Amino acid sequence: MDYLEEMAKYQKTEKEKEFGSDFLKTQEVEDYEFWDEIEIGKETETEVPIKFEVKAEDMMAYAEGVPDDNPLFYDEEYAKKCGHDGLVAHPLFGTQVLFFVLRKGHGSWLRTPGSRNPGQVMEWYDPIRVGDVLSLKQRGYDKWIKRGKYYMRYLAEVYDQNGTLKCRLFTTLILPKTRADVLRFVKGEHALEA
Amino acid sequence: MADRLTFDSVDCGDVLPEVKQENTQELTWKHAVASLDYNPVHTHPEWCKTAQVFGLPVPVMHGNQTMSLMCKVITDWAYPVGGRMKRIEIKLIKPVPVGSTCTYGGAVTEKHPLGKGEDFVTVEVWAKNQDGEQVGIGTAQVRLPK
Repeated sequence: MDYLEEMAKYQKTEKEKEFGSDFLKTQEVEDYEFWDEIEIGKETETEVPIKFEVKAEDMMAYAEGVPDDNPLFYDEEYAKKCGHDGLVAHPLFGTQVLFFVLRKGHGSWLRTPGSRNPGQVMEWYDPIRVGDVLSLKQRGYDKWIKRGKYYMRYLAEVYDQNGTLKCRLFTTLILPKTRADVLRFVKGEHALEA
Repeated sequence: MADRLTFDSVDCGDVLPEVKQENTQELTWKHAVASLDYNPVHTHPEWCKTAQVFGLPVPVMHGNQTMSLMCKVITDWAYPVGGRMKRIEIKLIKPVPVGSTCTYGGAVTEKHPLGKGEDFVTVEVWAKNQDGEQVGIGTAQVRLPK
């Protein structure tokens, strides 16, 4: 059984079943943004067209995948007794939202084979609740070279259907420098200078 | 610490209960499914043998999974009394290969009595591997009830 079939065994929610799990499809990778093609200092703001309708199963699935068995993430009544206004989303639930909506084009460098995660910054403003319809606005925030590594940072803001800001994520990765480097990684070759 | 956790009951230096978690390939696959981050550096053992993104021939845990478990230290502590995270900044220091067992912890370092429902504490959080090496460090701001 290959790795994609292994993972398919764990896909339970509607979104998990619908989402493509092969990040090495060459055509999809060709549609990504690449580090050296994004102009340094350029700031763009784009509202991503795909929305994320939050279901309880999405929130529970993220907590289960941490794994985090805190009943706040699974039991609405317990969460209310603890002073929350409903089922609680795990603080990093926004990760699932980002990957769901950023499939190609602007911001899709998040999926790049060969990328490395140096750490992240997140800010929360309003709880994500079941029934929210989330949309994403993002802009290129910074890119830099440090010790021969190529860093990219976007500021992603998640809003609900009422325009309420839910959270801000300063998403940062160390990326392969060029499209050619990424395509070498797709073939399973090592293509990092540092 | 007092029985009922509140902003007033917390002191700088308070240590939060630790979380320990073994990381297996199965767990990493489950996290890939839950986060929708199917990057092969986490999910594809054969690809990792040659691609060696981190100089390692094996898959590594998602950085955001490490961060999620660092957050668990805080959510286990503060969320049952209605606390909420306000901000977190985490630096990931070393990759965590599949098969590692990590421990996650934190301690209160600052209190910010701003009033008007804006009180928060700062918690320094950390993650260490089975050899005691830090794999992640960070700072979290957490709102606590009065």
